[in-house]
Amino acid sequence: MHSPPSFAQKLLEWLIKDELAEEVLGDLDEKYYYSLKNKSATRAKLNYWHQVFNYLRPFALKNYRSNSKSTTMYKHNLKIAYRHLLKNRGYSFINIFSLTVGIAACMAIYLFIMDETSFDSMHSKKDHIYRLDEIQNFTGTKEQKVALSMPGMGPNMLSDFPEVINYTRFHQRGKRLLSNDEISHTVEKTFNVDSTFLKIFDFPLVSGDRETALNEPNTVLLTEETALKFFDNLEEAQGSSIKMGDNLLKITGILEDVPETSHMQFNVLFSMTTVTSENPDFNDQWGSNFLNTYLLLEDNVNADALEAKLDDFLVRHMGENSEDREVLDYYQLFLQPLAEVHLNSSDIEHDYNNYRKFNGQYIDTFAMVGIFILIIASINFMNLSTARASQRWKEVGVRKAVGAQKIQLFNQFILESILLALLALVLAFAINILAIPWLNDAINRKLTMWFFIDQPQYLAIIFSITLGVGLLTGLYPSLYLTAFKAINILKGNKQSGNKSVFRSALVVLQFGLALAMIVSTLIVLNQLNYMKNKDVGFDKDQIVLIGMNGEVNEKFELIKSELLDLTSIAGVTASGQRLGNNFHQWGFKVKTDTGVFQMTPSNVFVEYDYLDVYNIKVKEGRSFSKEYSTDEGMAYIINEKLVKELGLKDPIGTPAGHGWYPDDSLGSIIGVTEDFNFNSLHHKVNTLSMVVHSDWGFDEMSVKIKGDDPQAAIAQIENVWDRHIKDWPFDYMFLDEHFATLYQSDNQMSAVVSIMTVLAILIACMGLFGLSSIMVMQKIKEVGIRKVLGANAFQITFLLSRNFLLLVVLAFIIASPITYYLLNDWLQNFAFHVDINFVIFIVGALISLAIALVTIGYHTIKASYRNPVEALRYE
Amino acid sequence: MKPPSLGEFEELVLLMVAALHDEAYGVAILESLETKLDKKVNISAIHVALKRMEEKGFVKSRFGGITSDRGGRRKKFYVITAFGKQALDQQYSIRTEIYQQIPEISFN
Repeated sequence: MHSPPSFAQKLLEWLIKDELAEEVLGDLDEKYYYSLKNKSATRAKLNYWHQVFNYLRPFALKNYRSNSKSTTMYKHNLKIAYRHLLKNRGYSFINIFSLTVGIAACMAIYLFIMDETSFDSMHSKKDHIYRLDEIQNFTGTKEQKVALSMPGMGPNMLSDFPEVINYTRFHQRGKRLLSNDEISHTVEKTFNVDSTFLKIFDFPLVSGDRETALNEPNTVLLTEETALKFFDNLEEAQGSSIKMGDNLLKITGILEDVPETSHMQFNVLFSMTTVTSENPDFNDQWGSNFLNTYLLLEDNVNADALEAKLDDFLVRHMGENSEDREVLDYYQLFLQPLAEVHLNSSDIEHDYNNYRKFNGQYIDTFAMVGIFILIIASINFMNLSTARASQRWKEVGVRKAVGAQKIQLFNQFILESILLALLALVLAFAINILAIPWLNDAINRKLTMWFFIDQPQYLAIIFSITLGVGLLTGLYPSLYLTAFKAINILKGNKQSGNKSVFRSALVVLQFGLALAMIVSTLIVLNQLNYMKNKDVGFDKDQIVLIGMNGEVNEKFELIKSELLDLTSIAGVTASGQRLGNNFHQWGFKVKTDTGVFQMTPSNVFVEYDYLDVYNIKVKEGRSFSKEYSTDEGMAYIINEKLVKELGLKDPIGTPAGHGWYPDDSLGSIIGVTEDFNFNSLHHKVNTLSMVVHSDWGFDEMSVKIKGDDPQAAIAQIENVWDRHIKDWPFDYMFLDEHFATLYQSDNQMSAVVSIMTVLAILIACMGLFGLSSIMVMQKIKEVGIRKVLGANAFQITFLLSRNFLLLVVLAFIIASPITYYLLNDWLQNFAFHVDINFVIFIVGALISLAIALVTIGYHTIKASYRNPVEALRYE
Repeated sequence: MKPPSLGEFEELVLLMVAALHDEAYGVAILESLETKLDKKVNISAIHVALKRMEEKGFVKSRFGGITSDRGGRRKKFYVITAFGKQALDQQYSIRTEIYQQIPEISFN
């Protein structure tokens, strides 16, 4: 006799509800035997299977969730956690909110750091690309690191060192006027590069052959954006020609627009062969530094080992003979890995092609601030959970009494804290979606939360950090809660956990961090304010800078006189370089009774009215004047620093000249100015010589405007400009904007630190608020008794606040020295900086004390005014 | 509250439960229905209908004694309740009433 298919029976038994099983299986069996009478066994079995599958519907299936013991417990725990959240809305809010803010702040900082550290990471050979930098040490100038190198260095390194695979030079050509038949535009950020540029760097091409694109003279690559200014579409641009001056350049490729995270930013790349075909000596030109050189090294080359050979390299190419090592007194070379160019160049000067250069030390500061915030938020969580333990004693007691293991309770509490952390993560995400655009405005970035969507691995990191935070913060409260003895709890004995040293230590840590951040913010703001308002020795407000080309130089006198007729213009002048940068250094010599001295100070060539327009004070002698014909190129005004460096007792009238002037045809020093900060305030004042060279071609016109309406003044200037200048666009910038970019790194740091400080204080206060309410609640009877015995409201408030205030004071004592040390370190970045005044620490302490007092005041004062009857009624 | 509805197949099963009175269990209902309707019926469909009607209160059930030909499992017997009978009556009267409204039509 064939029996029903046993596997089908088992399956059904396993799937179907217990109360249905007997009936259904019985009926199926009976039906099966009944079918056997007139059908084959196979047919009957098949039919049995068919019927089994018919039972796979909701009415018959087992409800697994309600039947498995482990999930029941989790479900129960979840429910308890949820009820607990709702029951204590205030604390739940503090817990979740502070953690949310903490995580959101960390995420924003993380985005910022990822943005900064992602610079130049798109190049596949990035680990083997180095920038060639110099350390210059000229007499009369402090030793300085510069990003510049000489044209001959790259080619000769390639031929001298087998470990150098390739080199490319990156020579800034500034703003250029380009045109095709119909359209002409000035294009900024144009560069000469070697044909190897695209082989070393991976800037993608839209069209063209990256192997050969820059091989020929008079070839050019345009970025998409630039090409579309001249052509309707990219296909048309590819292979067409474009004119620059008299040169016709062939467009051999279109580049994708340069990504935001590249330290090199360019719109146009000219082939270097255009230069070298006309001037073959360019590849062996030494002495003058004006371009950047990048080297590609072999995979396993030690850059330090190569660096060690560079002294001999310089001697070989720049010395008179192999014994002449004098060149090393002035120059040394070093290699900077590509990864460090963006973040580790803050001490490198003449670094013009380093877009959004950022002080990498601030990355660490940001990371630290993020961790601080997270710690402060986590402490809230731990403190509130343990402090609220009294409310859960009974729960723990009952659970233990019905047989809960320690580990089960532990799991329950850990789960609760992880859940809260995850909830906070979700909320933080939502908050950041709203807050990041706002932050972008504040610090001028293009951060986006899409980053996490695009790159889920970072989302995973954030997720695991959150899990970790949930786990760590849950650890202590869980252990604390599970350690209660059931018998003590259920007997009604109070636990002695109220005076937790650990909890106090956490409050001290929390307030220590908050205090450190308050003081830091105060000092950072102080320093930035100092830089903004420090008398740099010249007027930088109300100055409009306008770029000049040859045509503008020719018509300069005409434009100047017309501008001066306008009521809104206070002065017009021009110069070869812009204030706020380190001026170029070149040779300068003076002749005294004892002989000729050579020096290399910073130099700038200016127009006659330069000192007047910028209000630079002349200490001795006179300013430049057209009345003296020798003032053109033969009269020098130097700063006090240079006077001191030269050791001149009576500088006025001393014969002096550029380094290349013959000793017997020098001009003379006509004036001495006070030391003014022509460079940013990160640097000390360098030696400086100023001279008039109208024929050299000024780079920028400086127009000082007056009155309250700068836009009207600019419109007037533009009007004059348009009447005289045909080919060069009117492009202006305010000098103070330029100075703002110099301190961009510092300003952004202060913005972030300030925002984070506010958040840190907010979170710490919320924690304190929660904690104080619990404390007050636990002391309510003590307060009642004291009031009955005659204590007044002030005494009660003092009693309740005393402990917290002690903690804040303790935090102050511990945090102050550490903060002092860190800030002092930061201030060393500035040659001109404020001193750390201890008053600031006192102010910081008072602020945090006041905040703490106000925070706990709500509860303490409320408690002190309570009617003692309410507290003692049930005793 | 609206009285619970009675579907077509449910009605058939309920009628059969009522007809078999006290002898109605899954296979018996199935066989009688298959005979009457002259078509195959799924046992699972009958179980679904029975469970639903039990929830609605049209039928109630009890386990019978142990039998040998079902692998030792008990049969589950269904009886119609007063409420079930009432539903059947109502259904029947509605249909009869409508049926009687049909005019005398000759189909010749």
